[in-house]
Amino acid sequence: MTEHRADRARLAVDFECQIGPERSGERRYAAAMYFYSCGELSAEMLEIYRRCCNDDSEDPQDLARFEGVFDIRISRFLGRSE
Amino acid sequence: MRDVRIPNDWDRKGLPGWCYHSAELLELEKEELFKTHWQIVCHLGDIPNAGDFQTLDLCNERAIVIRDAKDGVRAFHNTCRHRGSRLVTKDNGTCPNALICPFHGWVYNIDGTLRGAARPDSYPPLDKTEFALLSLEHEVWNGFVFVRFKAGPQPSVAEMMAPFADEASAYQMQNQVPTDGMWTEDSPVNWKSIRDVDNEGYHVAMAHPALQDLYGYAYTDEPYIDGISRSEGKYTPTKGRRWAVRNYKKFSKSQDFLPDEQKQSWIYYGIFPNTVIAMTPETALFYQEFPVSINKSRIRSATYRYKDEDRQQRAARYLASRIDRETVVEDIQLTIWSNEAMASEFFQGFHLSDLEYGVRSHHDHLRAVLPIYNVETKPTEDEVRSLNDSLSRDTSNA
Repeated sequence: MTEHRADRARLAVDFECQIGPERSGERRYAAAMYFYSCGELSAEMLEIYRRCCNDDSEDPQDLARFEGVFDIRISRFLGRSE
Repeated sequence: MRDVRIPNDWDRKGLPGWCYHSAELLELEKEELFKTHWQIVCHLGDIPNAGDFQTLDLCNERAIVIRDAKDGVRAFHNTCRHRGSRLVTKDNGTCPNALICPFHGWVYNIDGTLRGAARPDSYPPLDKTEFALLSLEHEVWNGFVFVRFKAGPQPSVAEMMAPFADEASAYQMQNQVPTDGMWTEDSPVNWKSIRDVDNEGYHVAMAHPALQDLYGYAYTDEPYIDGISRSEGKYTPTKGRRWAVRNYKKFSKSQDFLPDEQKQSWIYYGIFPNTVIAMTPETALFYQEFPVSINKSRIRSATYRYKDEDRQQRAARYLASRIDRETVVEDIQLTIWSNEAMASEFFQGFHLSDLEYGVRSHHDHLRAVLPIYNVETKPTEDEVRSLNDSLSRDTSNA
């Protein structure tokens, strides 16, 4: 695995890390910023992750659904269909 | 070759008393001493894993030292490029694959480059390097991580410490691990009063019964030469009259790899202007003091041990820490008495013993950086900076 792919894999794990553990909100937001910079996340979805950065118990995906923010790219990235 | 002889006829005076309570001089000291000279942030053992960091606040500046994914060490100003907020608010910890500004949420990679700004749609494209964290000059010496905020007169730490390279490397300090974290305490004195006490062993017999019991008259000081002083206390052959010392001498069990002459001694390196690294057979430690205000200083210290110490060495380390704790309390009181003397209009200044030549050598180093210390009569606060500039020009033209 190349270094870039390894980093990307680590960030993907961070992006989807368990909701709740201490500083997990920061991990998700930091990873979201990476995927935004790669063009794989919308600015609106990145903002959802920023809002959840300091609230480890808030699920950004839930918040996005609640607020009607939907990003087809993230669904593809996460391997899910919404 | 260091010439450690004490001159026959030396000026036994100390610094003028006004130097200990001038706000304008303190600003000069921050600029010309603390920001331009090497400062210890931590030891490699404090940041063993990728993302581990340690911060240091010093004279209105903030540093962060962080272990990167390739096992290297990076040092940055702990300052967001957006609004200048501190990026990391804790003294130490582990960051989650990036540094996130707590103010607006700018995100930086561990290598300092900007991963992205919050609400990126509110900016034109931002260059990742142009808006990277500002790097700090840093150096790792025997496991201790030094930073320097601005270029200054000192060479590299390794070059300064070269006369003691073999002696220091014998301790294998780079492999040590932290004991009980970073210790800080504020003391109600000017920072120079702390150094004035620490730079001489004349007071040990009077003020430090435990140290006297441990190494007593076998203690020697070498003055500051090219920014480094060295002191050594070899254990006296007596058993020790005090409980902690008696048992320390009994249990102290050196590492096999230490040369014989270092197996029963405590060695201290003073690193100009405000830092000491000390080695015992069981530990290495550093301490340093920073000015908070003219009459307040922050003392910061940490102790490190060998990973594979056995129970006996652990017991000896505990006993050494008891001796040290006792000494620190005694020294803090001495610094208060020394500092208050400098505020008295009737105190006529130090008259130093040959056993206090280390104090003089530190003051001479200070005078070399800021010639204003040579001015005996207190200038007005408005005059301090301009007078120092004028004296500096005279010195460089001479």
